[in-house]
Amino acid sequence: MSAGKAAGKLSPILLIEDEASVSAFVRAALERRGYSVIQAPSGDDGLKRLESGSYSGVISDIRMPGKLNGADVHQWIQEHRPELSERIILISGDTANSETQSLLRGSTTPCIEKPFRVQQLISIVESTFGKP
Amino acid sequence: MRERKNMSARRTAVVRGRKPISGLKHDYAQEFMDLVVEAANSRELPHFLAGFAARARRMLGAEWGAVGEIRGTKVEFHSHGADFPGGEAERPQLLKNITERRTGLEVIPLRGGASFTAYYPIYASDGELMGTLCLVRRTAKFSAREKELLGALGSHAALSMEKVRRFSQLERSKKQWVEDIDAISDYIAVHDQGCKIVRTNRSLATHLGISPVALVGEPMSRLSHIAQIGNTMPCPFCGNLTQEREESVALSDGRTYLISTSRTRGATDEETRTIHVLKDITDRREAERRYRELFDSIQEGLFFATPDGQFLDVNDAMVRMLGYQSREELLQADVSPHLYPTPAAKERLVRAIAEHGALRNYEETLRKKDGSLLHTLQNISAVRDQQRRIVQIRGLMLDVTEQKMFQSQLQRERDFNQKILNTTQSMILVLDTAGLISYANRRCYEAGYREEEMIGHRLVKWVDGPQQKDFDAALQTTAQGQQVENLEVRVRRSDGSMGHFSISLSPMRDESNQVNSVVVVMTDITDATLLQAKLAHSEKMATIGRLVSGVAHEVNNPLAAILGFTDLLLENPEMPASAKEDLQIILQETQRTKVIVQDLLSFARQRPTQREPVQVNTVLRQTIRLRSYDFASHGVEVIEEFDEKLAETLGDAQQLQQVFLNILNNAYDAIQESGHHGRIRIRTRRNEETVEVTFSDNGSGVSDPERIFDPFYTTKQAGKGTGLGLSICYGIVRAHGGEILCWNNAGECGSTFLVRLPVATDATLTAAAKEAGR
Repeated sequence: MSAGKAAGKLSPILLIEDEASVSAFVRAALERRGYSVIQAPSGDDGLKRLESGSYSGVISDIRMPGKLNGADVHQWIQEHRPELSERIILISGDTANSETQSLLRGSTTPCIEKPFRVQQLISIVESTFGKP
Repeated sequence: MRERKNMSARRTAVVRGRKPISGLKHDYAQEFMDLVVEAANSRELPHFLAGFAARARRMLGAEWGAVGEIRGTKVEFHSHGADFPGGEAERPQLLKNITERRTGLEVIPLRGGASFTAYYPIYASDGELMGTLCLVRRTAKFSAREKELLGALGSHAALSMEKVRRFSQLERSKKQWVEDIDAISDYIAVHDQGCKIVRTNRSLATHLGISPVALVGEPMSRLSHIAQIGNTMPCPFCGNLTQEREESVALSDGRTYLISTSRTRGATDEETRTIHVLKDITDRREAERRYRELFDSIQEGLFFATPDGQFLDVNDAMVRMLGYQSREELLQADVSPHLYPTPAAKERLVRAIAEHGALRNYEETLRKKDGSLLHTLQNISAVRDQQRRIVQIRGLMLDVTEQKMFQSQLQRERDFNQKILNTTQSMILVLDTAGLISYANRRCYEAGYREEEMIGHRLVKWVDGPQQKDFDAALQTTAQGQQVENLEVRVRRSDGSMGHFSISLSPMRDESNQVNSVVVVMTDITDATLLQAKLAHSEKMATIGRLVSGVAHEVNNPLAAILGFTDLLLENPEMPASAKEDLQIILQETQRTKVIVQDLLSFARQRPTQREPVQVNTVLRQTIRLRSYDFASHGVEVIEEFDEKLAETLGDAQQLQQVFLNILNNAYDAIQESGHHGRIRIRTRRNEETVEVTFSDNGSGVSDPERIFDPFYTTKQAGKGTGLGLSICYGIVRAHGGEILCWNNAGECGSTFLVRLPVATDATLTAAAKEAGR
């Protein structure tokens, strides 16, 4: 956020989601509310962007194809971008999934379960990243 | 001898040639002279006595004279000429007088007037009465001279009679001796120093085909072809001439002779006589040889031993059996300390023999020379002397080591088989080819069948009616020699219930390879079948779970997009009202889809979200409360039979409530369908390490209990349910490590659901706590 404020304009939200339709809907919903969104179609791509760019927050799907999934992204941020560690929202296909359970246990990272309503998304984003 | 006889004949002729003198003018001296000569020459007593009687008659002027010779109890009269002048009536008197040794005169009536009979007993030198001279004459009185004469004649007769008698006895005995010698079947030959034959017996001469007399004077070498002892002497039978006695064995023409030789000095000359007795011992030798051959060739061990067990003789088999090199080695020393593993064993044997005399099939373990053990079976008998003391023991010994080993091996195998038969969980029966049970193992009786309803009965009667055909066919096949494996039939158990059995039938054959019985192995696989079905079901459910989980995840993404864009479109103020209505429908259906997907995920879910101690009774009561209004208003009674001391289980109370609610709803629907006055009985209890909850309703029942937990399986009309309710229950219960079962009530309407959950133990609680803390 500090980076965004320094630029005089809020830094974009990085959206890591392999499912194009979901990614498109989330982006549309956020942009309509004034957020700027940068899309990454995979965990690997998301990390590249995180390394080079500056973001006000990260929304990542948990289950993704490729070398890195949402949990890995979450882990990387904890280690390399501690300023973003409280600014992550995870999207899950199945919160009862054991993988998701172990990731979320003992963590304050919010998680939103697919399929979700626009209102659910916005309220979590606003409470986590703040209003644009 | 012949010479003498001739001489005597001549002398007799001289005497007979003399003119007899009659009347009183006897020349007594001449008569006595003749009497002496006659006595000297006479060899035969009867002849002499008759002559003597005649002479006495003449000399004493008697009408009749005889000598009554006493031979044992009989009297024989010797006389020349006329018969006894008396009648038959007088004869016994005569005899009586003689035997009673009467002396003197007696008047007895004779034919033609009375006559006098005179008796004169004749005694031998030892006082024995030899006979009586009897004279009959008219004149009763004997003159003094006549008496004298009678006395002289009597004593003379006594001497002569004794002498002749002895001589003839000698003659008889000599003759008898020769006859006896001749009667001996052994060959006897006597030779002199010059090896000339002095005598042979008849059997030897007969053997050579000539008379014994013809051999006298011949050289002994003439006898060499009978047998020869292999010497260089002129006599084929002589060995060492200086020996007084010798024995040797000679062989010839396949015969064997034992030659016993004695040498004696002749009585008349100083010459040594050699007497050979040849005994044909061929048969005895043969018998001995056969006996020895039998003794040695027999496979059984034979032994002779002293009463205390020291071997005297043993056969080859015995030597071999005990592992010795030779008979001598075994006989040399007292082997019994080595032979008997313990001194007590030998004592026992000796005692047993002393007590019983004979032992049959006496079992004894002996030690061979090399120390290995020999199991024997012995037949022993004791030989006793006159005082009943045991002087020898004889025995026959069989090596039964192999049999013993075979026997013990057989016994072991038998025990082993018996153990298998007795401990196996399968029922094993033996049937004859007609299908009648002849044997049933212990398991059959443990399973409750009684002997009297099995043995001798047909096994097929226990088989379920429609399958009896199959069983009989299998039995037929087996009787023809084919094995039948794993025939699955329903069999009536001893308690009347039907069980699912796997049956194998094997033919058993007799020596001639004919099938004479059938071994039947029956295993109750009812539980196994159930388990199999359960496994198959759970596998099917797991597969469905994976499939559903995959589908749900895939569906979630497009669903998220549809829901999201529908929301965005609805937010759009430019959207016309009619479109918004349609969008509302899309939204509604999308949300319905979302529920389905979530249900599917619940079913497929691997773990409950929570793991904490849960009191099932409490969860049940909360669940029932949720539906109590509905149930009461529709007349559905809920009966709670809870175990108030029920153990806690470990899990997620929310999810368990979902399970119970689903089951209750299902029961409620079934009751509504049947139109009965509804009743749901809920029972909780602990069963070993599980908590069991049963829900029994009296509804319409379940059409296919096997498929009831399959996702989307529903019998409810379209729109009334997704068909996922019980699938979710299944998923949840499985995730809790429990199981859920459903069946239709036997004998009454409705169905029962059983939920089994593991009891919370310290171990599971600790594990859950650790899991939660991670």
